[in-house]
Amino acid sequence: MLEKGKISAIQLIILLYPTITATAILVLPATTGSFAKQDMWLSPIWASTFGYLSIFIAYALHKYYPQKTLIEYSEKIVGMIPGKLIGFGFLFFLLHTNGMNLRDYGEFVVGNFLQKTPIIVVVLSMAFVCAITVYGGIEVLARSSQFFFPVFVVLFLFIIVLLIPVLNPKNILPVMGEGLTPSIKGALIPSQWFNEFILISFLLPYLNKKKNAFKWGVLSVSLVMITLVITNLFSLLLFGDITSYFTYPFMDAARYISIADFLQHVELIVMALWVTGMFIKISVFYYAIVLGTAQWLGLTSYRPIVFPIGFLLVVLSIWVTPNLQKLTEFSSTTWPVYAFVFQMFIPVSLLLIAMLRKKKSN
Amino acid sequence: MHPLLKTNILLRSIFICLLLFVLSGCWDRVEINDLAIVTGMGIDKTDEGDIELSVQIANPKAMASSGSSSGGQSDGETTVVNTVKGKTIFDARSKLQEGLSRQFFEGHNRVIFISKELAEDGIKKHVDFFARFPSPRLRANVFIVDSKASDILKVPSDFELNSAEVARELAKLKIGLNITTKDLLQQLANESGSIALPIITAEENPTGKKGLRLSGSAIFKKDKMVGQIDSALTRGVLWIRDKIEMSSVTLEPDNTEGYISFELLRSSTELIPTIKDGKWKMIVNITTEDDVVENETNLDILDPKITNKLEKQLERKVKERIQDTLDYVQKELEADIFGFGEAFHHKFPKQWEKEKDKWEEKFPKLEVEIIGEAYIRRPGRSNIPQEEQKKE
Repeated sequence: MLEKGKISAIQLIILLYPTITATAILVLPATTGSFAKQDMWLSPIWASTFGYLSIFIAYALHKYYPQKTLIEYSEKIVGMIPGKLIGFGFLFFLLHTNGMNLRDYGEFVVGNFLQKTPIIVVVLSMAFVCAITVYGGIEVLARSSQFFFPVFVVLFLFIIVLLIPVLNPKNILPVMGEGLTPSIKGALIPSQWFNEFILISFLLPYLNKKKNAFKWGVLSVSLVMITLVITNLFSLLLFGDITSYFTYPFMDAARYISIADFLQHVELIVMALWVTGMFIKISVFYYAIVLGTAQWLGLTSYRPIVFPIGFLLVVLSIWVTPNLQKLTEFSSTTWPVYAFVFQMFIPVSLLLIAMLRKKKSN
Repeated sequence: MHPLLKTNILLRSIFICLLLFVLSGCWDRVEINDLAIVTGMGIDKTDEGDIELSVQIANPKAMASSGSSSGGQSDGETTVVNTVKGKTIFDARSKLQEGLSRQFFEGHNRVIFISKELAEDGIKKHVDFFARFPSPRLRANVFIVDSKASDILKVPSDFELNSAEVARELAKLKIGLNITTKDLLQQLANESGSIALPIITAEENPTGKKGLRLSGSAIFKKDKMVGQIDSALTRGVLWIRDKIEMSSVTLEPDNTEGYISFELLRSSTELIPTIKDGKWKMIVNITTEDDVVENETNLDILDPKITNKLEKQLERKVKERIQDTLDYVQKELEADIFGFGEAFHHKFPKQWEKEKDKWEEKFPKLEVEIIGEAYIRRPGRSNIPQEEQKKE
């Protein structure tokens, strides 16, 4: 096996939770709000079904091939050539998406705080830190997220608690005034965030105690869902109809905090939240790409390709879009479909074929 | 140790050198003494139809000296006001920068003054800058100014550091409307299509000194100012919006001479929209609790029966005030600044969806019923009889 490290079930949650929420809390309230309006807080609940489904598929496939990742077992399931093709497509998708993640990270930092700093500097420094983490292997990755995860959670709760005095509960009305349709429409894009849980298939083989893996996976989906409901609800209760005006509603919500004219200007906390969360998110994607590529090429170690792929990620983050408008448009129109193909359609097909094969051989 | 660092000494030294780059900081480093901290902004309309931006900037020199050596020689005013014309706010801001040795910073700007002339042409386009540009905050208060916005910024202040702070503290007292940029954006997005903003004026007091004063509200339809109401009617708006916190009511009770004054303890207003047989109606339900704070009459207000009667009168008085506001704002200005449309939207989303385009015609004809209950809780600290007291 390429990876000799082991992670615990808690570490699995700690890796997956920020992987989904880091970008979701900042980017999603605006897109969800533009479709679901005052029902936007319901959307993550509908979207989370895709998260549970992803966990279920990854776990079922894991049962068939306990020591293998998605890249490896796709060859076993559909044969050498088609398996390699699927693997290539999947790796390319991850690489592209992680390039977008990296760009998202840079856009937020440059757009809100370091307006004059070239984005490449921001992106490069993050990619460098992630590269060192990924180079260290899954244990280093898990331990560093273990270190940052409490920071992420505490800072998030800090913002949430401080927002309570400025909320207006009336903004939630009318609940489902136009029926279920708007909130389901609003759930379409977040559903692809939840589908990112398919990344669990790159982590499951290295779990030390596999007994409760499914349970822990479900727990992490639920935690993400609750977090997103809270984020959407708080953005809605503060901004109401204008939530979708903002590029990052949660950021503007944090800027609105002012306790007794004293505790204010706390938006840098959102920045800290973003940096720690994005570090874990980019690293987990990065790790999956590096490990998957090594397995796809049949290498004996994944370490030599960490830095080359890191370089590719940095250039991709620049190539992926000329500006934030394009990035936003792409991630709310093309990307959901594109992501659905790789994160849902392919794993489901693999699972079905694997089940049929199992039946045949019995 | 990390395998990467263990492998060879050359790699390790390169790594350490790389870290040096990180230590040097970033492009966007700005020292605080290179910043011009904006405390208030004002926008006026020029004769050519462009805008004129006025910026109130904190003067750190004056602030420092006024703190340490009171009296003595002063370094001038605590704020400096600069004015320049431009096509947009940012355009004017760039021109202002040309004559300013420090870099603009709006992160501490707390007040935006917009002149009445500009408001009559529509304010939506001018609010954009305050929500789009990174440094301004959505918490800044917005005021409409009767005269020139730049004059308001120049008014000296007695208690606070600058006039912008005076305006903000006035809004915070909630005697008038307290509207932030966020609230304004929300009102602009609102389906009822009307907004209300507080008006602030600079008035000269008998000693010849100028002071700021809240004087009613500006009423907008869509984003254009169509009229204004005075302070008394503004309180009515606050009652209906359930935003009233400080209020005094003075009554002239029946069958006696003199007045009784009440102070508001708390009040709550509930808007109850109803649709019966296709007929829309709004019920405004007000519950108010008051204390007696002054009694000029010979009524014995310790007497529960008299208190009861007074409660009835108080109730009538509050209703009257609200009716006055409704008469003018609903019937004359035809602007739904009370949130009636929103209340219908919340309770009857389906009917609202059908009728919302016609709301503008519907609102002035909407039947409004005011019901209410007033409670007098305490007679006050003492009970001084005026002449002989009347009992029942």
